[in-house]
Amino acid sequence: MSLTVALSKGRLLAGAERLFSVASLPFPDEPGRRLVVPMDGLRFLFVKDMDVPTYVEYGVADVGIAGRDTLLETGADVYEPLDLGFGRCRLVVARPRGTASAPAASRRVATKYPRVAGLHFRERGVSVEIVRLAGSVELAPGLGLADCIVDVVETGRTLEENGLEIVDEVASSSARLIVNRASYHARRDEVARLIDRLRGGAARAARAEAAS
Amino acid sequence: MNGALHRLVQVPPGVQCFVGEEARQRRRIEEIVLSVFEGWDYEEIIPPLFDYADVFSSPDLLSRTYSFVGRDGSLLALRPDFTSLLAKIAAGRLAPREPPIRLYYSGEVLRYEPPKAGRQSELHQMGLEHLGGIPPAADAEILAVAGECLERVGATGWVLALGHVGVFHGLVRQAGLDPARVEALRERVEAKDPAGAAAALDGGGTSGEIRDALVGLASLAGRRSVLDEARRLMKACPEAAGAVEDLRSVVDALAEAGLSDHVAIDLGEVRGLDYYTGLVFRAYAAGLGFEVGAGGRYDGLLARFGRPMPAVGFMLGLDRVALLLERQSAVPAPAALDVEAVGGDSLGAALAEARRRRAAGARIRFGKATR
Repeated sequence: MSLTVALSKGRLLAGAERLFSVASLPFPDEPGRRLVVPMDGLRFLFVKDMDVPTYVEYGVADVGIAGRDTLLETGADVYEPLDLGFGRCRLVVARPRGTASAPAASRRVATKYPRVAGLHFRERGVSVEIVRLAGSVELAPGLGLADCIVDVVETGRTLEENGLEIVDEVASSSARLIVNRASYHARRDEVARLIDRLRGGAARAARAEAAS
Repeated sequence: MNGALHRLVQVPPGVQCFVGEEARQRRRIEEIVLSVFEGWDYEEIIPPLFDYADVFSSPDLLSRTYSFVGRDGSLLALRPDFTSLLAKIAAGRLAPREPPIRLYYSGEVLRYEPPKAGRQSELHQMGLEHLGGIPPAADAEILAVAGECLERVGATGWVLALGHVGVFHGLVRQAGLDPARVEALRERVEAKDPAGAAAALDGGGTSGEIRDALVGLASLAGRRSVLDEARRLMKACPEAAGAVEDLRSVVDALAEAGLSDHVAIDLGEVRGLDYYTGLVFRAYAAGLGFEVGAGGRYDGLLARFGRPMPAVGFMLGLDRVALLLERQSAVPAPAALDVEAVGGDSLGAALAEARRRRAAGARIRFGKATR
């Protein structure tokens, strides 16, 4: 039986494709609408980025590529043996430029990351109301839905365009190779081979990037 | 359906109901596992469903027990695990008994858990405790029993992933890390994330061989040869090195007994550190994404009840074994008895006929003959 690899069609897809190619591993050219693609001894699942940890945690996929941000948010109990080095971003707290700091107790936070955001403020002893959104989080403060947001930023341009500034960093993130706990032990040889190939690929990709 | 009725037939999250073949299936698995326990001369114990809450006050379980106030004002809790109950009984009612004491149990435990990845609030555990036995003999014994259970129920491709908490403990103690840093490190080692483990140590003043060994724990998993690598890495820490050798003698014994294909080393298995004192293990099998069972050594537990004694044990989750066998299409075959309909001209004649056929061992359905 071939190993199943869960990938997201989102932000990390291009990096994953590059990594697999550098590691001389098969990768579906154009997944299109197909969500399950068998290919040269691997089986690829294309799912939403926030769902990759879940597929791997339940063992539906043996391995997956997920952002550290989604791992923090889902709290999935999976192994994370490799930092793949791409998809780097930061999870930050941002609020409209020039706002005086609002009374802590009345803070309303819009986010796609309710668990991470809730924990971040709780750990600081701040009580906040979390407004869970599915996207376009950066619009929320300007429209009066929230006082601040917790979201991922790569370059910070989107925040800037929406009149927001970063006031705190919650966590930094990058793409991780994640492995199901049972697959890691019960399918040790196949999984170890794949991890080694990807480790080599990630190192080569990092060198190529440093050289360019 | 109207609102009140609709609510009445709903099932609360975290509990389950099994009917017919599902229930039979679970019962068959339970019978097989318990016969293995009996076969290794463990004695069954049927402990109470609830007890005083402080019996269960391990920090890990405290926030997850269903507790309530008894009629006399005492704080009670539904059993969230069997081990504390067995330890209490071994120290109390079985106090005159000389160790080793071998006990097994099978029944439901209740703990508050958000239903997720094979976890339920109500789960059926089948397990045993070997009280008063020391490593490596008692450890090897319970691992062999766990293996035989998985073999007998028909599971394939199963692996016992073995670790030893003394490795992590020894290193952490020698490094003199503060509790917050230990927890951050533990979490990254558990995730098998060497880069994260290294980051957790940054700025904590740990360097050289101890640092390398702590970071190395995140990748010390795999075949027996991992133990050789561990021996090299742990040179600077006698406690950790001793733990590796303890584990090696257990692993060697299992290998000699023909179990090498079913043994994996996992020195990054560092959960429940406040509870376990030596061997820790989890049983995994291809097809199920999470462990079917787990166990370890907890030499400190019985002292809590006033009878200090080494102890080692494990449990299998009945729900998980059932799910695994379903995934592996290895469900034990049902008893092949056809149902015979029994009827008659009068109720009395029918009943007499039913009793006659039952005495002959037939499976009958009482009622009008449908032939």
